[in-house]
Amino acid sequence: MRTVISLYIILAFFQLLVTPVKANAQTINISAAISLKDALGELAKTYESRTGVHIELTLGASGHLADQILQGAPADLFISADEKHVKDLTEAHVVKAGTTRIIAHNRLVLIVPADAASPPSGFAQLADASVKRIAIGEPKSVPAGEYAIQVLTALKLQDAVASRLVYGSNVRQVLTYVEAGEVSAGIVYSTDALEAGAKVKIVATADESTHSPIAYYAAPLINSKQRDAAEKFLDYLLGTEGQAALHSHGFQPAETPATAPAAAPAKGTP
Amino acid sequence: MNDLWGPLWLSLRIATVATIVAGLVAIPMAMLMSRRRFIGKSLIECILVVPMVLPPTVIGYLIILWLGARGLIGHWLYERFEYSIVFRFEGAALAAAIVALPMFYLPAKAGFASVARELEENARLLGANRWQVFWQVTLPLARRGLNSGLVLAFARALGEFGATMMVFGWTPSRLTLPISVYADYESGDLSHAAWAVGAMLILSFALIAAHNRSASSTQD
Repeated sequence: MRTVISLYIILAFFQLLVTPVKANAQTINISAAISLKDALGELAKTYESRTGVHIELTLGASGHLADQILQGAPADLFISADEKHVKDLTEAHVVKAGTTRIIAHNRLVLIVPADAASPPSGFAQLADASVKRIAIGEPKSVPAGEYAIQVLTALKLQDAVASRLVYGSNVRQVLTYVEAGEVSAGIVYSTDALEAGAKVKIVATADESTHSPIAYYAAPLINSKQRDAAEKFLDYLLGTEGQAALHSHGFQPAETPATAPAAAPAKGTP
Repeated sequence: MNDLWGPLWLSLRIATVATIVAGLVAIPMAMLMSRRRFIGKSLIECILVVPMVLPPTVIGYLIILWLGARGLIGHWLYERFEYSIVFRFEGAALAAAIVALPMFYLPAKAGFASVARELEENARLLGANRWQVFWQVTLPLARRGLNSGLVLAFARALGEFGATMMVFGWTPSRLTLPISVYADYESGDLSHAAWAVGAMLILSFALIAAHNRSASSTQD
């Protein structure tokens, strides 16, 4: 009898270990490019307090998130920092063609640690030997890294910098390397540099003719059980309030192409 | 295949340096800890062994905290010499040495503890000085433990990933074997990792087999 009871207790304990904490409210899972971290975090909080819908954010490099989704990670909405990874999902029939929408645009900048003694003054100076290490995102899965390679290639700097490149597994890690002063320069989005504040300095903004347009593509996933809720949140992102919040974090509006009025947040960092 | 030799050579170099560093700390400490009693002994014992159970990420974090360009000691080195251990060979070797330290220390300590003190005393009585006793009596008698520590520390250093990834980073032109596997995974190119995975499996099996064989053959 005692064995049975203790066995029962062990089983009950095991049950406790394996049962996940139940979410009491409706939850939508969003896998989003990590450059959206601060903006989406703020928007998710506002949205949650207003509608009661809980938003679970999974942040990372768009390529990693796309891989996770392909491997069956639960997600209702995928927001990629490039078109390629959304296309991959469309080809895999995880996203329905034609349901993707652009929610914002961004710019690519060259940053240096704020206290660097003699930082490179622009992309061209990256070829100088005084620039010891240059951090970029890993180009295959980190869109910011892919854009960075495009810029370096367009400026014919790729061979000159190849041996000094250090990869971050997402764009925020690149930012961390520059903030920590471990690299001489890094290539990130203007919004990332903005979030870092005084710790980093923007020395140049990449000419948009040197890379493909940086657009954030939001895609509802076919297998989502929260399809309507996800679409509603997407509408919210594209609405006045969502766009205003994205703008306040330095992103450029979804509607206009990333050119004309866009330069303001990229350049004007104190 | 061509991408295998660079990482293999780098990993072997890092593991060799790390094993030497770990040995230089582990052997004297093992000798001291197996012979003497002193205040704070258990604390030092803890420090020597704790890397075995600490997550490597914590070790990486602590190295960066102390020796990074903005670190407690590192900022001084950086301002004075523009030197930071991060992303450097020395950083990878240090990370691997710390992780490998307990693997060297524990068997070495067991080795020294197994040496019968009377034999050392006899040698002293026969006129040997302390160095002679150490080199000609203690060390040969502790050989099994030291060999074991050497092989295990090398194997552990060779396989080090977590702390190395944080301190050495991911420089595409310089990958260690374990980091090259991770890099292939991260860039969605798993099949490319096959050679590195194969090399790590073969090396690890060979090292452990060699370790087991020497451990059982010297057991009389």
